[in-house]
Amino acid sequence: MAKIIVVTSGKGGVGKTTSAAAISTGLALRGKKTVVIDFDVGLRNLDLIMGCERRVVYDLVNVIQGEAGLNQALIRDKRVENLFILPASQTRDKDALTQEGVERILEQLKQDFDFILCDSPAGIERGAQLAMYFADEAIVVTNPEVSSVRDSDRILGLLGSKTRRAEQSLDPVKEHLLITRYNPSRVTSGDMLTLDDIREILSIDLLGLIPESEAVLRASNQGVPVTHDAASDAGQAYSDTVSRLLGEDMPLRFHEVQRKGLLNRMFGGGRR
Amino acid sequence: MSLNANSADIAFTFKGGMLPMTVMELSSADPEHIRSQLAGKLSQSPAFFQHTPVVLSVEKLDEPHLALERICAVCRDHKLLPVAVRGGAEPVRQSAWALGLGWFAPVEEGRSRLLESVDTTATPDDAIDEVEAADQEVVAVATRLFRGTVRSGQQVSASEGDLVVIGAVNAGAEVLAAGSIHVYGALRGRALAGIHGNTQAGIYCRELEAELLSVAGNYKRLEDIDSQLLGRAAEVHFAKEQLEIKPLG
Ligand SMILES: Nc1ncnc2c1ncn2[C@@H]1O[C@H](COP(=O)(O)OP(=O)(O)OP(=O)(O)O)[C@@H](O)[C@H]1O
Ligand SMILES: [Mg+2]
Repeated sequence: MAKIIVVTSGKGGVGKTTSAAAISTGLALRGKKTVVIDFDVGLRNLDLIMGCERRVVYDLVNVIQGEAGLNQALIRDKRVENLFILPASQTRDKDALTQEGVERILEQLKQDFDFILCDSPAGIERGAQLAMYFADEAIVVTNPEVSSVRDSDRILGLLGSKTRRAEQSLDPVKEHLLITRYNPSRVTSGDMLTLDDIREILSIDLLGLIPESEAVLRASNQGVPVTHDAASDAGQAYSDTVSRLLGEDMPLRFHEVQRKGLLNRMFGGGRR
Repeated sequence: MSLNANSADIAFTFKGGMLPMTVMELSSADPEHIRSQLAGKLSQSPAFFQHTPVVLSVEKLDEPHLALERICAVCRDHKLLPVAVRGGAEPVRQSAWALGLGWFAPVEEGRSRLLESVDTTATPDDAIDEVEAADQEVVAVATRLFRGTVRSGQQVSASEGDLVVIGAVNAGAEVLAAGSIHVYGALRGRALAGIHGNTQAGIYCRELEAELLSVAGNYKRLEDIDSQLLGRAAEVHFAKEQLEIKPLG
């Protein structure tokens, strides 16, 4: 049976879609059959980052409204086996998503997949609540700034009250903290919150820390999830994150200012 | 059966009680003026306005006639329930009774505010004085325990007794209690103790970063708090007509 994982944040633009694409790619690379669903109806983005925007025929709303079958709408990833994308509609109205419709699709996907990732829209409204409602686990994406931490805190409150698990008093949604766009030198200079500050305020387990990285911009412009860029810091950090999600113990990297030594300078040190 | 027969015959018993009661001391008799101030207060601490009973004190006004009915309507619009009027001239007393409200005689200058509700001369009905004296009921109310982080947008309240939070109260969260509030963690959000008017309530926390502290409606915002006190364990009480914040331990 599949695990349903929502990638959520409250605040917009913190790296949810980047993370959903990178983590689902990482899971598929480890042989897990994975589907990533774009819940951001009206602003579809995931297909661009996954590089499959030219292959979209049907979308989530079509499937919910019975205009297409699930298999017609699922797009198979070009690079990795076992990876599928269910895109959002750019033209439809957000209200086209219904809880029953989403439930039906998830139930169907659960039969075939190991992991179902839901890329949530920003905000705490209906769209975000639908994306999280059926989740077993949540990856809360947070940037090292006060407003992002505040919104993540808000989202954690909703995960504990507005999800099926909460409403039916089942085991609570398992919450993971993913800190992205972390810039150790700006943290040191006091411009940004420290890792410890964020962990203390949110008090949930840290799943990963992704540094601010040129590699992410490059990857999204090329439509290739950054996990494929195994030499880059962000690619490695996402790969560590996937390992932890699968239960492995990985030491934390990229959270300290790196002093460039001779070897680092000569070989690039995997940091770019 | 026969043992119970006696108690079953009794429809009620009079019990004396000292209930915490919010006194709304009017300094304006203009319903619209009252309305605009209430609207502001309501948005500041919505949890206080939950059909909270209040005694309208009109002692500070010296108008013989009051638009009492309209003032009561304004209160009810903001979820405050006037239950009685204190002070005022004979016409005020008559209209209070006509509106189904109780009437208390004005409090004499210098008398302790805390004792006024058992003041024998202040109660119009002698029968009540007796039960007050005979049977001082002490009600122990349950403490509410919350384990975990109270997160932004969440509200945890103890509508009768104390509230104990084993964890932090984050910015954007609100904790409320009729009694005192104890936070075994950082208090970064809003804490309102004594929401029904109990000025004896206090707030205690392991790390003070609160956005707002209030005891019985007397509040301080983060901005008003001495920065020396921030980030440390602290206790908050109502003393000398204002909130007093002291380091704890
Ligand atoms: N680690 C990173 N380093 C540098 N840039 C990043 C990083 N993560 C994300 N970004 C950039 O931040 C922007 C927002 O990222 P993304 O679209 O993933 O956020 P989102 O949370 O999905 O946004 P929305 O709320 O609009 O859906 C993008 O331009 C992305 O390239
Ligand atoms: Mg997005």
